[in-house]
Formats: sequence, structure tokens, C-alpha cells
Amino acid sequence: MIPLAFLLAFLLLPLIVLLLRTWSGEGTRVLSEATTWQIASLSALQATVSTVLSLALGLPIAAVVSRYAFRGRAFVQALITVPFVMPTVVVAMAFRSLLGSSLPQGFLIVVLAHAYVNLAVVVRIVGAQWAQQDDRYVRAARTLGASPVTAFRTITLPYLRPSIIASAVVVFIFSFTSLGIIVLLGDSSTRTLESQILRRTSVLLDFPAAAALAVLQLVVICVVIAIGAAASRQRGRQRPVRSALIAMPARIGARMTIRLVAIITCAIVLLPVIALLEASVSSRAGFTSQWWTSINAIDAGTTRIGSPVASLLQSVQFALLTGVVAGIIGGCAALAVLAHRWGRFVAVAAVVPLGISAATLGLGMLLAFGRPPVDLRSTGLLIPLAHSLVAVPLVVAVIAPALRGVDPRVTDVAATLGARPTRAFFTAYGSTLRTVMLAAGGLACAVSLGEFGAASFLARTGSPTVPIQIVRLLSRPGEQAYGVAAVMSVILIAVTLALVLAVDRLGRRTGALRTSY
Amino acid sequence: MSFVKPVLVAAALGSVLLATACAGGTNANPAPTLTGPTTVRLITHDSFAVSDALIADLKAKTGITLEVATGGDAGQVVASAILSAGAPTGDVLFGVDNNLVAKAIDAGVFESYVSPNTGNVIPSLRDDTSEGKVTPIDYGDVCINMDTAWFSKHGIAQPRSLEDLTKPEYKDLLVVEDPGTSSPGQAFLLATISRYNDGWKDYWAKLRANGVKVAGSWTDAYEGSYTSGGGNGDRPLVVSYATSPPAEIVYAADPKPTKPYSTVLTDGCYRQVEYAGVLAGTQNTAGAQTVINWLLSPAVQADIPLSMFVFPALAGVIPPKVFADFAAPVKDPLQIPARDVAEKQSQWLDEWGQVMGR
Repeated sequence: MIPLAFLLAFLLLPLIVLLLRTWSGEGTRVLSEATTWQIASLSALQATVSTVLSLALGLPIAAVVSRYAFRGRAFVQALITVPFVMPTVVVAMAFRSLLGSSLPQGFLIVVLAHAYVNLAVVVRIVGAQWAQQDDRYVRAARTLGASPVTAFRTITLPYLRPSIIASAVVVFIFSFTSLGIIVLLGDSSTRTLESQILRRTSVLLDFPAAAALAVLQLVVICVVIAIGAAASRQRGRQRPVRSALIAMPARIGARMTIRLVAIITCAIVLLPVIALLEASVSSRAGFTSQWWTSINAIDAGTTRIGSPVASLLQSVQFALLTGVVAGIIGGCAALAVLAHRWGRFVAVAAVVPLGISAATLGLGMLLAFGRPPVDLRSTGLLIPLAHSLVAVPLVVAVIAPALRGVDPRVTDVAATLGARPTRAFFTAYGSTLRTVMLAAGGLACAVSLGEFGAASFLARTGSPTVPIQIVRLLSRPGEQAYGVAAVMSVILIAVTLALVLAVDRLGRRTGALRTSY
Repeated sequence: MSFVKPVLVAAALGSVLLATACAGGTNANPAPTLTGPTTVRLITHDSFAVSDALIADLKAKTGITLEVATGGDAGQVVASAILSAGAPTGDVLFGVDNNLVAKAIDAGVFESYVSPNTGNVIPSLRDDTSEGKVTPIDYGDVCINMDTAWFSKHGIAQPRSLEDLTKPEYKDLLVVEDPGTSSPGQAFLLATISRYNDGWKDYWAKLRANGVKVAGSWTDAYEGSYTSGGGNGDRPLVVSYATSPPAEIVYAADPKPTKPYSTVLTDGCYRQVEYAGVLAGTQNTAGAQTVINWLLSPAVQADIPLSMFVFPALAGVIPPKVFADFAAPVKDPLQIPARDVAEKQSQWLDEWGQVMGR
């Protein structure tokens, strides 16, 4: 009930308010324009390629990083979350400075950027389930003569199916509704409905057309989610082992492969980060440390919308709030998926907010909760709530597949052995739940740290979030603004790393209390 | 039928939230007092800035506590204001420009009010205030910036007019912003329309043939593609502002350079005027009017150049030295009446997209 009420109050109400205000039959004319359908089909193609690329990059990384015990594993795992929280404008700048001369604007650079940003989605969602897989099934198959490929195809792949599909759906939605990367790196072949919605909203002020496009986008996303839900029906359930990592294999070749994947992963993630680091200590005259030492000096004494340091504190606060709210709501939703007759429906419904355009969500929330009689702006809750709406689907996407991978018969066994229902439930799901909820909470924090679209509409009276501050700094001339923006990006990345590392460590500690067998 | 239940649940939740919001002592419904201490909420874009001392001064003189609420760029702010017209999210709006103002007025965003000090505003800026809804506060010119060092290093003369940009010696040197996503990009398009009238599409076809690069935003163009921006750009000509050179000095690394890195092409500049207005439906009309008068007061006007890097609307305000020295004076800026922009903007953007293949 809690997740349902949350969704209804904070998602449905703003949307209804906005649609009532803007909908008119006249807006549907955009649906008969050829351009609209051209954009929809081109961005579907773009999103498909982005998804395939994300999976191709993310699955090998998940196989190594979420399963094997090697030195630096926790760091690599946290590092992967970094691209996901980098504000898109920062990703675009970094990509431009790395690939600018070799890759022209357009399709290729856009799908590469999408794959980069969404790496964390695949690794986190698939990894959360993969980490739970009992290695003995695969070993049994190998003992019976199956080749590694056959074992993977017949044992592991069916087991991972729900999480692979869940992550594919999420990456597809993110790429289909992408905005910042499209505006900054795209060309006419990569326009998305979302970019058209923003253009209709804030450039042309043509709200009926924007509303019609937003509804079209939502319908497409719902169809994708429905296809995903139908495809993710679990085949073979396996009893998960309790979050124990696999020791490094003895064979030298296997060890090298694992290390190589880890190193390549770090290189992929860090290259753009290094470009930012360089920008944060550069001026025309060469090396400088003044952007770091005088970070708060920019515009000091004016009512800038908040100092860089105040923004950092604000963002961390929002992130923690979002992590807690989204973790609880998403956790409840994931449990409802298991426990309730309508569970599948809840699982599907919880992903829908991802398909709602950021502009629509931001405007809707502003209209519903940003003025009397319900004015939440002074309470500072408006942005964490918007972030939670974006984060809950991810939390569900992480938790639900992992829980569904648990063999429900364990509950029966526990009950037969005399455990009461709750005890039996936690015997079966407890350790999995703990591990994945923390992983999901970390992802929710990350979402909040990096979110830009919806929050930018929510007129704030306090400090802006870090991504908004960075975009603001990047929108004026002068090297100080550019340098401080780079410093803030680097700090945002460091904060993300620290936060995600802390959450992961918490997860390992609770997991470590239980012995693996 | 399925809609009934959600709405009820939402309404119930809404009232609980309302109760907590009120109990929390937030000023959900301020009384319309004309005197005494009061809070006025200013809705504005993310680029708004003014010295803290002036806000303290406003409070000392009038008892008004100014609460600044920023919400995205000018377009996002105006979009939000239009959708909440009549039941606003604040009391005053600052930052609607001459390309958006007609649509905002038509949507009933503003109550009738013009600051009595408008009579002292630079005459050419008063054109769009005849409807009695908004007060001009500042203006800026969107102009092409040129990387001085690049041109002297390559031994090429700087272009001197819009027409020059189509010449072979400037092939592949210019980056502009997409007018469909960027405000300076749109201003530059309007400049060409104002200059060439029906011939503007031919002009853009020539620019395209001459290798003009189109960026998604000012940031992408200036910091990403401009040779004198933050990144490793390769274009020495960019659409930016007449005030970008003084900003290059103010925001330079220490020790500050004695001269800016860019010069301004003063031909073909487009003038943007920013207005403030009282939001219709405010509970605090008197306070909102006071804030508008404050924005147009000599003290705030003198603060505007270095806070927001635009020019004050009030005539006779002495500019700071870095402005006097390096901001390019634009003699005959191009402009299109706000009504025409509102009417034709959508069509122009479509036509521009066709010409540019975007």
C-alpha cells in the first residue's frame, strides 16, 4: 500500500494537474506530423543500440566485479557508479574533449555516451543477482561434462534473465528519454521526444503539443515495460548462495582475465574523469591550484543562488533523503511484487515514472506542490521527492529480480522445520533482501546526486543542487567559471565514490555476519 | 471510475501535507499587508544575482525580506509562470525577455504595473512596455565574439560584418547555437531575419555552405568549440554576448590579464531586454511593486553589470571600469518587435531547421 500511495500522491497528482492545465485536442496535431514519428522511430533505434552496447560492456564487468574476490573490487564496483551521476553536461564536455576531433556530433558519439552513463545500471542490476548465484549449479554442470559456454547458456543465463531484461528496459528508457546528451552531442538523427517536449515547453511555449508528446512518450515506455515484464518470466529458480564472493581461480589465465577486465573497466570510467581533473587545475597560463583553493570565492558577496560549498552540502542532504525514501518505498514495492497477487502489476507500475519526461515531472510537481495551498518548497522536500520518483523504479529494478530468483520452496522448508511465517520468510529472503536493498539505496543516492532535468524546473529558495550549479557556472564566459565547474564535477565524483563505497561496505558487513556454506 | 480513488487518496495525502506545512510555520498564505515586515518571493532564472548588501538595504528601508526562487533558464521560468498564471508560485517575476514577453502577457501572467521610474529608462527599451504590464530592468546584446590572438596568429583580418561570415576566408571558423534550444542562438537567428528580411534563408544557406557549426547550447559552443573557451575548441568565431570580454577579465585566473582575449563584432548584434512584472494573483501586490521599484533603483542598476553581466536599463548609470573599457558599445542593435516574434517564432524555427537540415 505504501508504494502505491506514494506513487499516487506524488506522481499521479502532479501529472493530472499538469494535463488538466495543458491538454487540449489542438495539441494532438503534433501526433499527425511526420517529424514526430520520424523522431520516435529514430530514437527507438538509438535506444536499442545504446542498450545493446551497455549490455555488451556491462555484462562482462558484472561477471567479474560482482562475483570474484580480488583486491580493489569494492573500489571498482563503486567507480562504475560515477558515470551515472555525472551531470550530462559534464559527460558531454568530457566526451567532447576526449573524442571531439575524432568523432563528429551525432549517432555514434551519442550511443557511446549513453553506454558510458548507463554502465552502472547494467552492472548494479545484473550484478546484484549474479552475486547471489550459487556457484555449485555451474560446477555441477561442468562436472557433468558441459563446456563453460554451455554451462553459461543453460544455467547462468536463464538465472540472470530477469535482471538482464530489467536492466535492458531501464537503459532503453533512459536512452529513449535522454535529453542533455542529445542536446549537447546529438544532431538531427538523434533527436528524442524528450528534447522536443522541452523545446515545446520552454522555447515555443506550446504546452498542448508538449503534453501530447509527453503522453506519446509515456505510452511508448509503457509498451516497452510491458514487453519486458512478459519476457522476464522466470524459468529455473535457484537457491542463491549468501552473498559470498568466489575466490580467485587458481589458473593463471583466468586470473589474468579477471584482472584485465577490472583494469579496462577502470580505464573506461576514468578517462573522462581525468579530462575533468586536468581542467580543474588548468588556466591559460598553465597549471593552477586557485580554482581549488578559492572555490567559494566566485561571486562572493552577491546573491548568487548559493555558494559551491553550500550546493555540495545541499546535494548530499538530498541524496541521503532520497536514498532512504526510495529505499523504503522501493523495498516495499519489491516485497509487494513477491507477496501480492497483483505483485507483477506493482513491479511494472513502479518502473513507469522513468518514462515520464523530466520537464513534465518538474512542471507538474511545481504546479501541484509549489504554491498555495500545498507549498512544499520552503520545506526543502520538493526536490528529494522528485528524485525519489526517479529512483524508486531503479530500486525496484534492482531488488525485484534478485528476490524473484530465490526459490520460494525455502520458505516451505523453513516452515516445515517449525519456523513461524515471518521467520520463514526472512530465512528465505533475508540475506538477499539486505544485500540488494543496500545496493539499491546506493543507486538511489547516486540518482539524486546527478539528477538535473526535473530539479531544474522546481524553483528553489535554498541552494541549488550541484548539477544545477555546474550547469549555471558553465553557462558564462571566463576561465574561473569553467575551472570551478570542473572542480565541482571532480568533487561530485569523489562524493559519489565515497557514498557508494560506504553503502557497499555496509552491505558486505551485514552479509559477512552470515557464514556461507 | 478508476480515477476516483487515486484522486481521493492524493487529496487526503495533500491535506495532511498541507497541515504539516502550516504547522511547520511556513508562510503558505501571507496576509496582504501593506506595511510592516513581509516576505516577497522573487521568481527568476538561474543567472540572477545581486549584491547581498542591496537585499539587506531593501529590508532595512521597506521591511521586505526578499526570497529568491530560481527555476531553470528564462524559458523554463516563463513556462512555469504561464502554467500557473493567476495562482502564481511567487509574487514578482524577473527575467522574461523581449522574445518571451508577449506570450507571457497574453497568458495573463502579469498584473498591470509599471515602475514610475520607467520614465528614466533608456528610451529605446521602453517599446514593449506600452501594455503596462512589465518594467525593463536590463539589456544585453548578442554578438559574435572573435578570438583576437587566433586571427593575428593566422594573419587573417577579423570579419567586420554579418556578410563577411559567408566569405571563403572565414570558412569553417564560425560556431553558432541551435535557435531551437538556445537563447543566444535564437537571438542570432532573429538578428539575421531583422537584417535580411525575406533573404534570411539564403543567408543561412550560405553560412551552411561556408561550414558553420551548430552547437546545442551556449556552453557547448563557447566552452566546447570556441578557440578561446574552456575546452580545446577549433572555431575562432562564436555567437556570444557583447559583455563576454569584460567577463573574461573578471573571471580570469590571477594575475588578471590587462586585456580580454576576445573582441566583439559589433555588426549584426541582437538586443535582448529583460523585464520584471507583478505576478497576477499574488497576495502581496504592494510588496511586489516595491521590489520592482527596487530593481529599477539607481543602486541596484549600478550593481547589475558586475552581478549579471548585462547593461542597466536606467539611463545615466555609470558603468564599472571594466565595462567602460571592454564592453563593446553597439550602436545599432537589431531587434524584432515582441509581437512579431511571438507570432512567427515557431514558423521561423521550422524553416531554419529545413535550411540547416536539422
